[in-house]
Amino acid sequence: MKIVVAIKQVPGRDTPLRIAENSRWIDESEMQWAMNEPDAYALEEALLLKERDGGEVIVVSAGPERVASTIREALALGADRAIHIVCEDLRRRDALCVARLLAAAIKPEKPDLVLTGLQSEDLGLGQTGVIVAELLGLPHATMVLHVERIDSGLSVKRELEEGWFQSIELPTPALLTIQSGGNKLRYATLMGIKRARTKELRTASAPELGAEDAPTVGLDQISVPKKQKSTQILRGTAKEAAIALVERLKTEARVL
Amino acid sequence: MMTAFLPTLAEPQQFSGWERLLFAELAVLSLAGFWKQLGPILGNILQSKKDPGFRLFPIGRRVRDFVWEVLLQAKVIRERPLAGLAHAVVFWAFCAFALVTLNHCAAVFGLGFLDPAGLVGRFYFDFAAVFAVACAAGIFGLFVRRFVARPKWLGEVSWESGLIALLIFALMVTYLAAFFVAASGTAAQVLWWAHTLTLLAFLPVIPHTKHLHLMLSPITVFLSRGGFGEIPPLADDEDFGLVAGKDLTKLISLQAYSCVECGRCMEHCPANNTGKLLNPKEIVLGLRGYLNAYGPTSEEPLLGKYNAQEAAFECTTCGACEYQCPVGIEHVPIIVGLRRGAVNTGAWEDQRGARLFLTLERGANALGISSADRDKFVDKNSLPLFDGTQEYCLWLGCMGAYDPRGREIVLALVKVLRYLKVSFGVLRKERCTGDPVRRLGNDLVFQQLAEANFETLKQNRVTKIVSICPHCVRTIQEDWKAYGTPPEVEHHSELLSRHLHRLPVQNLEKKEKIVFHDPCYLGRYRGIYEEPRSVAAAARDLVEAPRSHERSFCCGAGGGLAFLGEEKGQRASQARAAELAATGASVVGTACPFCNTMFRDALVEKGDGAPELLDIAQLAARGLPE
Ligand code: SF4
Ligand code: SF4
Repeated sequence: MKIVVAIKQVPGRDTPLRIAENSRWIDESEMQWAMNEPDAYALEEALLLKERDGGEVIVVSAGPERVASTIREALALGADRAIHIVCEDLRRRDALCVARLLAAAIKPEKPDLVLTGLQSEDLGLGQTGVIVAELLGLPHATMVLHVERIDSGLSVKRELEEGWFQSIELPTPALLTIQSGGNKLRYATLMGIKRARTKELRTASAPELGAEDAPTVGLDQISVPKKQKSTQILRGTAKEAAIALVERLKTEARVL
Repeated sequence: MMTAFLPTLAEPQQFSGWERLLFAELAVLSLAGFWKQLGPILGNILQSKKDPGFRLFPIGRRVRDFVWEVLLQAKVIRERPLAGLAHAVVFWAFCAFALVTLNHCAAVFGLGFLDPAGLVGRFYFDFAAVFAVACAAGIFGLFVRRFVARPKWLGEVSWESGLIALLIFALMVTYLAAFFVAASGTAAQVLWWAHTLTLLAFLPVIPHTKHLHLMLSPITVFLSRGGFGEIPPLADDEDFGLVAGKDLTKLISLQAYSCVECGRCMEHCPANNTGKLLNPKEIVLGLRGYLNAYGPTSEEPLLGKYNAQEAAFECTTCGACEYQCPVGIEHVPIIVGLRRGAVNTGAWEDQRGARLFLTLERGANALGISSADRDKFVDKNSLPLFDGTQEYCLWLGCMGAYDPRGREIVLALVKVLRYLKVSFGVLRKERCTGDPVRRLGNDLVFQQLAEANFETLKQNRVTKIVSICPHCVRTIQEDWKAYGTPPEVEHHSELLSRHLHRLPVQNLEKKEKIVFHDPCYLGRYRGIYEEPRSVAAAARDLVEAPRSHERSFCCGAGGGLAFLGEEKGQRASQARAAELAATGASVVGTACPFCNTMFRDALVEKGDGAPELLDIAQLAARGLPE
């Protein structure tokens, strides 16, 4: 089975987030980066499928040069080759924009399966994978914990709310977004890192992939949420409370 | 003449032609038998890979070890006085007999150079006779110990040992008896032949049994790496540690063949004593078995038939085995080498181990807590930040920065440092030194951590470090060397004992007893025994545990094991805590935050009667005015 895994590089868990001087973005100069955790689980699932049934695992990631270190990590963990879609200015690309880049890189590979994390740890939009499925015209399932290959295609286990699970079958090719925690992650090894050096890491720009490449988001300002305790408890019957709430949303919060 | 009173050895004066022929034939046969065994062993050793980072010089240490451990047999005697002395006389007798034996064989062909009637010869033979008496007594004693007393660490009774003891005994007796017969009689001839035949029978047995140590161990002691528990560098891009036979180095193979199966290592091993699979002696013998079966160029995994992965990962790297081994075998580099082989290739699958690796790949500390928590601790206690103007960089370590007990120790030390007016500061971006991953064999993460820390130290111009954690101290000072030149570093016990005279005298009237537990990484690894004791003794009445100093028994946390799951068998910490509590001391003194947490958990079970657990920094701080 030929599997493509789309991964994202996100700020490391423990890295300090400081707003840059122009207040337009965070100061990236001293940041450490890591692989988005749900993507790490997607990669793990792909590697397990490959170990079970054979095939190839290709990693795709979009971002500036720094992203290469995370791609290398994926190669070290066992991916066979990688495509780095080089693009600056990620902050000005929304999920659709990034999905277009990814889809353009994935399409020529004609994979049997595309995996990605269900959302990113930094922006948490949770849409990119699903949009890629749409762009590639693939059936998809989200929040997947476990994938198994069956004769008719795939059998997957999805996580629902409140401890419920759903098992469904899909034909291949398909796209799945993977939930964290379905497997145990493997650790990177010295041998993996050394072997990764000889693996193929192709870089491609949006024009090279024939993808649309106009940043779509205009960012005015980012800020740390102000700490303020202004919880109010609205008493009375549900009707009275609702009236009071609408009143306050109009007059105090001014959002209506 | 005075020499007339000395007994004289009877040596046959004449050997007939057929005697010479017979001797020559038997000698060739014996030597051939000897070589047939020894040849492949030497071949295995010499075909093993070169030792990366091995340097013969400075040679002074090697000569010193050789004289002390081999010639004087001091280590053997010191650790097991009775058996050690018995062994020493056997060894010295063998040395004295080298000339006697040479002369004995040369005499057949009329080439003897020591004349039993001459002055020199007579003196020498008598000199050797004294050793022969001692040796016969010694070997008899060792025989009784092995076959009657049978301490469990000597393992199964082996007929080979009995045979060897018998042969040595016969060698001595046939030599001594020759002092009581006339040189011209048949008796002298019979004794000569008896001695010779014993000798020729002995020779081929040597390389076949553990008595190979007789030939190899002097070399092993001389060539040992020397740095205690020192983990050698990886040789090149294809070196991932001890994966297969091809990774065994000459030193390791030499050591594997040198083991004399005395069991000192297992006698002191905390894992072996608390019901784990690990037995350091079997690790060494496992390698020997592997070499005999597959040879030193094999691709067959080392962890398999001859050594178990489970055992390799039960080691706390306490170094008790290495410290005790009389033939210079370095277990810790071997065990860590096997772990490196398993971890660097991904063969080791352990849920908690993998979690620790992932935590340290991504985060800065082994406990997996956000560094914001550390910042809060630093700010809340107004610990000064290191800015290059202070004398010491106070290295908190993961335990000192995140663990509640570790923090108490740090704060106690801070109080003392402030009292002493010793200037210090802490770092914002300190990361784990890499101790647990280093000992678990993860070279990748270790390198990342060491390099990141070097960068921080450089930025902050740190030249001197003090730490409450012996693991941090060891790792910074020795293990980081692979990636740069570490700054000066010391353990707080060293600093405190230096300044002890400046601390107020504590009220010693109501003398309470304190027992001090030597942390492995402070004692055996760093040779610091008296400094923490001096701090403890200034506060309480110091008593010793049955196993202390070099023989201290590990708390069970080292080697990264603090981060792995539940232990098999009894917990090492409980065994040790019980031993410490049994001294009747009201305080258990520690000098390592890992020992501290291990004992805290173990002592909880003792309930109210449990002794109080205090780091020496806390003891020192208690004596200060509020
Ligand atoms: S280092 Fe300690 S735990 Fe490991 S084998 Fe040696 S004695 Fe046992
Ligand atoms: S390794 Fe050393 S201490 Fe252990 S049995 Fe062999 S010779 Fe004795």
